[in-house]
Amino acid sequence: MNAGFSGSAAALTLTLALYLLGAVLLGANLFLRRSGLLAAGRGAALFGVILHAAAIGLRCVEVHRAPFTNPAESLSLVAWVVVLVYLGTELLWRLSASGPFALGLSFLLVLLGAALGGDSGTGVSAASAPLLSERIVTLHILAFTTAFAAFALAFCCAALYVVENRILKSKHGLIWMKRLPPLLTVEAASFTLAAIGFPLLTLGILAGLVRAVSGGLGTAWQLDPKTLLAYAVWGVYGAYLWGRLGAKWPPLRTAYILLVGLPLCMLLLLVPSAAHRFG
Amino acid sequence: MPLRMIGLSHHTAPVEVRERLAFTAPGALPRALSYLEESLRPLGAEAILLSTCNRTELYVATSSATDLSGEDLAELLVGARDEPGAPFLPHLKEKRGRYHVTEHLFRVTAGLESMVLGESDIVRQVKEAHAAANVAGLSGSILNPLFHEALRVAKRARTENDLGRGAFSVGHAAADLAETIFGSLQGRNVLLLGAGKMSETTARHLAAAGAASVLVANRTYDRAARLAEILGGRAIHYDEFPNHLIRADIVIASTAAPHAIVHRPMIEEVMRARRQRPLFLIDIAVPRDIEPAVGDIDGVYLYDIDDLQQVVAADIAERRTRAARADLLVTEEAQAFAARLRAQEQATPLVTGVRSKLHNIVDTELTRLRRRLPHLSDADWEAISLAMRSVENKFAHDPTVKIKEFAAAAAEVDSLEQAAVKMEAVRELFNLTVAAEGERSP
Repeated sequence: MNAGFSGSAAALTLTLALYLLGAVLLGANLFLRRSGLLAAGRGAALFGVILHAAAIGLRCVEVHRAPFTNPAESLSLVAWVVVLVYLGTELLWRLSASGPFALGLSFLLVLLGAALGGDSGTGVSAASAPLLSERIVTLHILAFTTAFAAFALAFCCAALYVVENRILKSKHGLIWMKRLPPLLTVEAASFTLAAIGFPLLTLGILAGLVRAVSGGLGTAWQLDPKTLLAYAVWGVYGAYLWGRLGAKWPPLRTAYILLVGLPLCMLLLLVPSAAHRFG
Repeated sequence: MPLRMIGLSHHTAPVEVRERLAFTAPGALPRALSYLEESLRPLGAEAILLSTCNRTELYVATSSATDLSGEDLAELLVGARDEPGAPFLPHLKEKRGRYHVTEHLFRVTAGLESMVLGESDIVRQVKEAHAAANVAGLSGSILNPLFHEALRVAKRARTENDLGRGAFSVGHAAADLAETIFGSLQGRNVLLLGAGKMSETTARHLAAAGAASVLVANRTYDRAARLAEILGGRAIHYDEFPNHLIRADIVIASTAAPHAIVHRPMIEEVMRARRQRPLFLIDIAVPRDIEPAVGDIDGVYLYDIDDLQQVVAADIAERRTRAARADLLVTEEAQAFAARLRAQEQATPLVTGVRSKLHNIVDTELTRLRRRLPHLSDADWEAISLAMRSVENKFAHDPTVKIKEFAAAAAEVDSLEQAAVKMEAVRELFNLTVAAEGERSP
């Protein structure tokens, strides 16, 4: 284990601790409503995301290529963007209620990555991962990653919508409504996030298609599980946007679509794929 | 300097007694303060009269030489109202001593003694009572800091324990619920069906929370117009209200109709027309104006009077828990303030004692010197006097500062005994015979 690897691994370990701490503090704030807990939770998320960026940067320096050739790197990148998008929702809508979910998910993604196939630090070199030097492949990965992060937060907002709607309809547990963001805010946030994620997903799919048909990948990619799942995910979020904007479905129905979307995204992220090996 | 409070409140007296001893009518408080000023001026005492619809309390601080008995205080309070005292006597409650009076005032100001636990109006009322006493020249070096401290502690207790959170009334609960659905009510449209008092109160809460426009529909158009004018809204004809449901975000129904006037098919159609924007329906009419099945429609949130009353009850229960925490804080603050007050009471005569002892020594020495040196000119004597007084002041400066420091340190309850020992040492050093006044804190 060389010194460089130790640097990124140490930064990532500290990041994990900060994400967990942030999730616990923001979760506790939901119950206790203490401004100190909220500020500390947000601080942990902010320091975590900065440290995570440093960990990813160090990893790039160590392996001399973009950091997404194995599950550990890919999931770490996704986790980082999820927290980044969460901080964006905090700025826009003060959605601290989604903090425990976003930070908890990022924590689990990094852990899962390590369990699934984190490399031991040797990594693959830039020379052995020539695809990563292509801009279109980088665009493909970054568009998917950002779309996934937006969909993850949209899922969280949709879940909040379903819970809040149930509380307001049943009139039980109304005390919780004072701890959660307003119903219309979570609905607007879930729509905005899905509306941002969908064009990015489309861009990611198009970039992948262009790269695939431009040659060198054979025809295996056409029936690759990741490719097929990407179409399914695109269909789900397309249906959501059509239902929300065109057909004017009730918000509860569209919220359920977003709840279906994230598990599909997770499957897309984690399913093994021969056509999506960059190293 | 004894501190006293005498008065009655909703805890001790029914409304028919409270209203007879209230000073809330126009001109009643200035008249009462003028009476108190005349009565207390010869005693050099301070007083503040707090009068709300639920309590009338007189706070008095006197010098130790002119302590007032409970009967004196009762006579003073009842005399200020110009009422015979006998009917009030069984309901009057007295608090004596620094700690007990301080703690009571802190609790009252924080809303912990209010009929509606945690209500915030009392803070304004205490502020106004203090200001009125100030104008009348009744409050001074004892009651001013006490009331300033009460307002500070109330702010702290309320902020740290969220005492103002939650609904205090049905109207408040409706506005709170609207905010949990819509967030800010800025730009939201309110439609009132019926022009009753309750819907007016609820609409006022919504307007105070920022609702943009209020439409009023009533079977009698004139009543709708009158209420619309009061609320700064617009009256519409009763049979037009279904068309206005499309634009409305919040509907308050309180008509006297004997049966429901809003039905499920009507709202289903409205929801389609309003492209599924959420609709908050508040039905405070009995019998209900809105068919209960309307609440099953997606995006429609229907609350009747019982639902809202349950919200208020739940909020009150939660507020009780927070009030228990605020209670602890108020007790700690009252102990600290009473300790500080006690230390200051001990410090003031001590400082005066040290300074007057030095002054007397200088006076004696100057007189003796004048006898021994009669040939000196007036200018010489003036120079000598100035020099001696300067030595006196410089010598007194350090003990004065130290005594004040001991008194300030006594603000911490734990340091109280230590401060007392130090002040006793100063008293011994200067061989002062001045005894500390006042009572001990618990």
